[in-house]
Amino acid sequence: MAKTSVWSDNRFWQRSAAWITGFSAVLLIWLTFDTAGQISMGTDADLQNGVTKRVPGPTVINYKISYEMSTARGHEVPVIGEKEKFFGRDDWSEEEAGALLHLGKLGSQVKNCMNCHTLLGNGAYYAPDLTKAWLDPAWQNDGTMQAMTGKDTKEEAMAEFLQHPSTYPTHARMMPDLGITAEEAKGIVAFLKHMSSIDTNGFPRNFGKIKGAVHGK
Amino acid sequence: MASNHLTGIGSESKQLATWYFTFAAIIFGAQLLFGLVAAIQYVMPGFLFELLDFSVARMLHINALVVWMVFAMFGSVYWLLPDETGIETIGIKVGKLLYWVFVAAIVVVILVYLFIQVGPADETSIWFIHEGREYIEAPRWADIGIVVVALGFVANLFLTGTTGNRSGIVTVLMADMIAFAGLYLAGMFFTDNISVDQYWWWWVIHLWVEATWEVFVGAIAAYGLITMIGAHRKVVEMWLWIEVAMLFGSGILGIGHHYFWIGTPEYWWEIGALFSALEPLPLVAMFIHVLYDWGKTQGGQDATGVEVSVINNKPAFTWFVLNAFGNFLGAGIWGFFHTLPQVNLYTHGTQFTSAHGHLAFFGAYATILIGMMYIAVQGTNGIKVMKHTKSSLWAVSMIVGGVMGMTIALTVAGYVQVLVSRAQMGATWAGYFDGQSGMWFAQAMDWRLLMGAITFLGFLFLVKDLLSTGKNPVHER
Amino acid sequence: MIEEVVMRQDIPLDDFLPIFISSAMVMVFGGFYVGIYTAVKVKLLKKWTMPIAYVFWMLTAYCLYLMGSLMMVGEFTAKALVVAAIGLFLLPHAVYFMQHQVHEENEH
Repeated sequence: MAKTSVWSDNRFWQRSAAWITGFSAVLLIWLTFDTAGQISMGTDADLQNGVTKRVPGPTVINYKISYEMSTARGHEVPVIGEKEKFFGRDDWSEEEAGALLHLGKLGSQVKNCMNCHTLLGNGAYYAPDLTKAWLDPAWQNDGTMQAMTGKDTKEEAMAEFLQHPSTYPTHARMMPDLGITAEEAKGIVAFLKHMSSIDTNGFPRNFGKIKGAVHGK
Repeated sequence: MASNHLTGIGSESKQLATWYFTFAAIIFGAQLLFGLVAAIQYVMPGFLFELLDFSVARMLHINALVVWMVFAMFGSVYWLLPDETGIETIGIKVGKLLYWVFVAAIVVVILVYLFIQVGPADETSIWFIHEGREYIEAPRWADIGIVVVALGFVANLFLTGTTGNRSGIVTVLMADMIAFAGLYLAGMFFTDNISVDQYWWWWVIHLWVEATWEVFVGAIAAYGLITMIGAHRKVVEMWLWIEVAMLFGSGILGIGHHYFWIGTPEYWWEIGALFSALEPLPLVAMFIHVLYDWGKTQGGQDATGVEVSVINNKPAFTWFVLNAFGNFLGAGIWGFFHTLPQVNLYTHGTQFTSAHGHLAFFGAYATILIGMMYIAVQGTNGIKVMKHTKSSLWAVSMIVGGVMGMTIALTVAGYVQVLVSRAQMGATWAGYFDGQSGMWFAQAMDWRLLMGAITFLGFLFLVKDLLSTGKNPVHER
Repeated sequence: MIEEVVMRQDIPLDDFLPIFISSAMVMVFGGFYVGIYTAVKVKLLKKWTMPIAYVFWMLTAYCLYLMGSLMMVGEFTAKALVVAAIGLFLLPHAVYFMQHQVHEENEH
């Protein structure tokens, strides 16, 4: 064993493995700090002052959201526009909106949305992606889904559908009745509207380009 | 170092291992059954509607997957510990108690999933029904229970490893299992921010499946090569360290490929692309390694002039080789072709992911864990050379054929989705359903169901073989 | 470091199939390369088959190039792909070199 080459030395490789693992882990933790700062939720003040956050605050539900091509970034980004009524109000306070989003996020987990739908592209593939569901042409004023529920606004149509999904069979693959109450439905719609305002680096690509309903107006 | 791995009889650690393997096999069966239910629902959407909906069937399908693999992993460690350390596992009584706690918790969780399914949107549901986060749906109380059980397991491993002979394999397992248990904590909290939620969720899922579990497989493969073909320990262990370096080196930051589209900054595109491009390399390396050691030991044997196979457990070795190959195929090929951000933009959230998931979980993990079950059957029955039986061969060919068939069918379905729903229709509801109703998509789902059924038949052969082969007189004792 | 043009252009519909096939082939050919190389080294295959292994590596590199250009990857990703190709080239050599050395030390 006198002239053991370093390449066949177990301890050399053990140390290399430890160093490489440690280095990668430290790098990941460092990047996590940076990312955590960038994806923390914004505030109402940010929205009022036009500060762009990757994940806006819950009061984003008071505003119109659209998904537009950004020439600087080369893909679509959510754009927060003028005020827009959400369930008849555009003055949801930070607490109220936060509580609604909290209820909605809880609802999205408890009702197991993710095991049929995808959220931000993650989940199951049995039902449509919900990332930009709020902006979907089908739910707009002249869209098929809104027309079917007989409601006048997007949020009311979505809430109605969520409460009685089997009454509105949209496809052979129906959504089951999950016992969603009126309040929970409101929360879940707020959650969906908030999710559509998250900057997802252009995913999904070309959303709604066929119908053309989403770009701006 | 263990003199002989055939000394399974009388070791309490090995007895506990067989308990773990038994429950793992039962849950494996449940996984396949609920997978079949979900596959039927793709073909006949009315099947069990509002009784056992797709969401519930799929939750059970993927949770059972995680649970049976964790059980089989714990079992594998309890099996190899006495061989590697040369002593009986320390704290085995506690280990046995924790086993029953674990089993009881899993049974309760499954019953709640099945019969309660959903609750009102509040914290109580998160605590007692489920958390609704893919793969780690287990309710909060069960999370805490799992952490306690995992810590008990890690404690057993550490005490045994530090008291007995701490081989390279045991050292790797000690480091790996503590990371494995610790990472689970990242998935145990609630947040209103879905981007933050998914950021940490991937810490559990990715750092398990593409880092700590892969290293675990490396350690098990090393153990298998030593016990089954008598590969040289020093070579195998050195190689294991290189694998650890490569797997963690590419895998830890490879997490970037999950951070392309969840609200996280653009720099993850570069990080994800770079480390994803490197991720297949360790899988290729593991593949060469098995081939190399097999060729080398068989060559050494042949040189003595006596034509005998160096493999003392044919079915287990078959599954180990399938593991090396399946890891390369499922995680390597099926992972690589949709991992770069330029193309992942279109494939993210389609059946491509599902195709990759099926083949990678099977190829990288199911195979080697089934192999360990065969090693346990060999050990508990005192068999010197274990041979294939008709059932073991049927099991291998039907399970492998079935999973490959499902994967190919899902890949075709994913391709339709990419073209129709994504590239042309831009991922709207209308686009989604246009893609789903395409003829190719529908037929792919028919084939997936058929191949799933074949996989299940193969599983029945596997169970029959595992239960009966120990007493079969064809083996050399 | 951010790639300016990363997603600027859509991938044409007809390019998806070649992209998926070429990226699968990267791994298939790569597998043949390391497989044949290792098999020759452990004497499962005759020595003259070694050039075939290198031909497979060239095919791998070509497929990587094809895949990268069809995907319109930016400069950074292109570099990452070159690193991967070189890494794959060196991998079996390194493995063989190290394994051989350990075997030598332990068996003689």
